[in-house]
Order: sequence, then structure tokens, then C-alpha cells
Amino acid sequence: MAHDLGFWMLQALNALQLSMLLFLLSIGLTVIFGLMHFVNLAHGSLYALGAYFAASLAAIGGYWMGFFLAPVAVAGAGVLLYSGLIKRMRNSGPMAQVLVTFGLIFALLDVTRFFWGDLALAIEIPAILDGRLTFLGIEYPAYRLFIIALGLAIFAALAVVLDRTQIGAMIRAGVDNDAMAACLGINVERLFFIVFCVGCGLAGLAGAVAAPLLSVTPDMGLQILIPTLIVIVIGGLGSLKGAIAGSLVYGFVQTFGAVLAPQAASVLIYALLAAVLVIKPAGLFPAKG
Amino acid sequence: MFHHTSLRCAVLGLLAAAALFQALTAEYFGLEILTEILILAMLVLALDIVAGFGGMVSLCHGALMGGGAYAYALLSAKAGLPPLAAMAGAAAVTGAAAWLIGAVCARSHGIYFIMATLAFGQMAYSYVFEAPVFGGDDGLGGIPRLDLSQIGIDLSGSRGFALFCLAVLAAVYGTAVLILRSGLGRSLCGVKHNEQRMRALGLTVWRVKADVFGLSGMIAGLAGALAAQHIMYISPGLLSWTVSGEALVVVILGGLGTLVGPLVGAAAFLLLKHELSAVTPYWHLVVGAILIAVVMSRANGIVGWIEARWGGRGDRRAAEAARKQKSEEVLGDA
Repeated sequence: MAHDLGFWMLQALNALQLSMLLFLLSIGLTVIFGLMHFVNLAHGSLYALGAYFAASLAAIGGYWMGFFLAPVAVAGAGVLLYSGLIKRMRNSGPMAQVLVTFGLIFALLDVTRFFWGDLALAIEIPAILDGRLTFLGIEYPAYRLFIIALGLAIFAALAVVLDRTQIGAMIRAGVDNDAMAACLGINVERLFFIVFCVGCGLAGLAGAVAAPLLSVTPDMGLQILIPTLIVIVIGGLGSLKGAIAGSLVYGFVQTFGAVLAPQAASVLIYALLAAVLVIKPAGLFPAKG
Repeated sequence: MFHHTSLRCAVLGLLAAAALFQALTAEYFGLEILTEILILAMLVLALDIVAGFGGMVSLCHGALMGGGAYAYALLSAKAGLPPLAAMAGAAAVTGAAAWLIGAVCARSHGIYFIMATLAFGQMAYSYVFEAPVFGGDDGLGGIPRLDLSQIGIDLSGSRGFALFCLAVLAAVYGTAVLILRSGLGRSLCGVKHNEQRMRALGLTVWRVKADVFGLSGMIAGLAGALAAQHIMYISPGLLSWTVSGEALVVVILGGLGTLVGPLVGAAAFLLLKHELSAVTPYWHLVVGAILIAVVMSRANGIVGWIEARWGGRGDRRAAEAARKQKSEEVLGDA
């Protein structure tokens, strides 16, 4: 089996799918950090919130309603969080932010439990994506291919927006040097607000997309948080290149580790993270400035 | 140099009296909670040494405590060592592990330090979860308690064990004070205030950090060995990063860098948790809200708040200075 090309293809696709899911989460987190040096540990909870919104909306109007509306709903929750809490914590150090968002994790965990209960929810995969595609001699679930395609599409869209548009230039300027950007007349405050909401929306999208694969449980936010943090720390906090590099590293190390060295798999990624931190304490592609 | 203000001494005395009173008069359930508080207090004391006095915010202390619990269980139940030797062994193992973690992470700062320690904690968690010798998800049972019947102390009952934990905590507190007053503790303060300057003075900064982290790890490991004896059963959940996060919450709740604060925090947190979980299943929500309020109020936890309000004039001035410094340093560049 290990000498079969199809097997490697299959694992590579699995790895890619995991990477894309993590990319959706880490891109929001990393840009929020890059712009305002704000560490939002509750990002995983927003992902869980997205999954719950998607599950509820899917029960009303089918999968696609959840898919399109859950990110919007989570972005709305982001607006509330921002105006209520984050705006005030913006200028505090990382320690205070870590703690406040840690408190937020506690609170959001119970909010989801309160509204949706402790039992796991499930979402049906939509009919059009249910089934398997056969190509290059392997069979692969269509839904997972959809996640890969979606991740790549979001990546391409973000790359275009960040590299080619004016708002992208403003964001990059803000990431590189927010004080200078403010001097140049960019409203960094508002920019951050927009980016924060978009980041929350992407977390919600990740939740909506992941919901049919995993069951929707209150602690799914806690479970995804550590991998997401590993991704952005390996990649380099605040760097867009880092988010994609970190996601790919995590996805491939985790997936191929589980196949090739099942005993060491779970420790492997943490050992890699420790190694990266020792050799390059600021990650592989640290943000400038 | 570390010293107690009279207010802190008073708080400490009050806490000790309350714990002793509780240990002598409470019934079974009260004693169990008291023991839980004492063990948590030991863990957060260890965390306060590195986070409050060294500026090293660690998210692996839960894993160190869990490591201590597993080391004790393996040494006593599996390897057949006498409990006292197993306790010493557990503390030594976690101390060595913590020293290594401290040495590796010494170069990182701020959020990177938090992440690096988190990585080590999770590594330990995954390893314990997967390796067959640790019993995986099922955990380990049949862990013996220390036997002090030769000197006439019975630890098999909850009252005896609670008193024993209180004695160990008192000893650990004394040790922590000694560590902080030693040359090592003063170097640590210097490193926290200005690493560059200490390096220029000829200090090997990473060694100081690693040594203190190791000592703190020993205390956490000791707390773990006591926790294993308390419940006589352990599971990988002990090493989960949320335990470390909770410990951090407790330190902040009580007051970072005060040494008394963690004890107050541990008592407040567990009492709150037990009271609230009796009333509502959503006690996390309340704890989360309280935590957010405490951090946003910018007081240095409960002890900081008490000091700002009721401190004597000298104490108040010291507290004010410490608070100003703390909110700048801790909140500024933890």
C-alpha cells in the first residue's frame, strides 16, 4: 500500500483539506494580530459559533443557507465583541488580551451550551456534494474536494485583495507599521474593525464548512484553537505568507505523521513547533516591523 | 527584594487560620474541597513565581503538575518505590523537565513564550494520552498515599490528609519566599525588569530563567504528587492545557506577583466554582465574566484591590507603586 501512488495522493488530499480548514481560521487570527497586535484566543469559539449557526440555519433552510448566513452571523457577533470588549483592550499588552479572551472562551462555551445544549449536532452534506469523485485512479469524497477548492478560492481572493487593491495596501501598511500608516491618513482603527469582522466571518465560514465533517459540539472551539495557534506561530504571527505556510506544514505533518509514524504522530507537530521556536523564535515568515 | 507588607501578612495569617479551622472542624465534603484548594494553591504558587516575579507566563504548569502526578503513580504503584521516595522522584522528574523547558524557551518573549510553553505542555499531554504505560484514556488507579503511621499520623482519612496538605503548602510557601529572597530570586527580578542590563552585568540570563523555571516545576510536580494521592486515580485530563489556563486565571484573580494572591485566588476560584455549579450548570459563564471584569478593572486581582482600598499609608504607597509598575509591565509586555 505504501508504494501505491494513489495512496499518497489520497493522503496528500487529506492533508490539503486539513490545511485549508486551518488556513481559514488562521488567516483571520493572524491579520488581526498583525494589524493591532491583538491576540484573540476566542477565535476558536467563533468557529464553534459558526458551526452552531450553520447547524440551526441548515435545519431551517438547507445546507446552503447555513453556509452563506453563518459567516455573516458570526461577523455580527464579531461586531458586538469588538464594540463591547476588544476596542477597550486594544492597547493593553498581550497578557491582558490573552486573559480577557480566555474569559471569553469560558463565556462563549456556556453560551453555546445554553442555546444548543450539550448534545452533538449533525449537518447533512448537501446532495450535490454528497458522493465521491473518481480521478487519476483514486476516489475522493466530493465534499472534501469542495473544502480544498473553497480554501484555495479564499486564498486567491485574499491574495488579490491584499496585493492589488487599495484597501489591501492599507492593510499591509497597517501590518508593517500602524503608527506610520495612521500618520499617512489611514484610519487604522476602522481598518482594524473591518478586518476583525472579516476575520470573524472567516472563522464562522470555517465552522460552517467543518460542521458536516465533524460533529458540532460545544468544545469544538477549544479543540481547533491549539492547531490554529500552532499554525500561526510556526508561520510567524501577523504574516499572511506565514498563515498559508503554517497551515500547509501543520496539515501535512499531521496527516503524514499519522500514516507513517502513528506512535509519534501526536508529539511530532509539537516537537516541530518547539524546534521552530528555538531556531526562529519569531516563526518562519515573521511580519516585518 | 521580596518582602511582605503588613497587609499581606495579615491576609496570609487570616488564610492560614481559616484553613486550619476548616481542616479541624469541617465534615467530609468540606475537607475534600479544602484539600482541592490547598493543592491548587500549590500549583498557582509555582506559577506565580515564574509569571509574577519572572515575567514568564507559562501555559505548561498544568502539564507539569500532571507529569508529577503520573511520575508519582508510576514510581509508587508500578515501580513499587515507597511513597516518600516516589514523591521526591516525582518532584525531581518535573523539576528536570521544567528546567529543560525553561532553558529552551528562555529566548522567547511575550506571546511566543506563552506559545512555546503551550507546545511543551501539549506535547506531554499527547504523549501521556498515547503511550500505553500511562493507561491512555483510562488513566491509572490504585495510587497509595503516604504512610506516616510510624509517627502517629493517619493520612488515609480526609482530615489527616487535608492537614498534611496544609503543612506541605506552608513548607512550599516558605520555600518560595526563600527562593525569592535568594540571589537567584533577586537576579530573576532584575531579568524581569531589564534583561539587557542584567546581561551587561555579566549574568547568564537563560540560566537564571531555567533555574527558576525548574524550581517552580518541582513545586508543580509536588502538587501533582499530592493530587494523585488525594483522588488516588489520575487521568490525562490533568495535563490538558485548560488546566494551565485555569491556573493562570486563578493567579490573575488573586493577584499576580504577590505570593499571597495565588492562595486567595485558589480559595476564591474553587469556592466560586462549587457554589456556582450547585446553582447553575453554566458556571463557566459567570467565571468568564468575572475574569473579564477583573482584567478590565486593571486592579491586580483581589489582593491588589484590597491593597488599593484598605492598605495602610506605607502599604498603600508601596501597593500603588507596585500596581503602576505592574500594569505597565505585566499588561505591557508580559
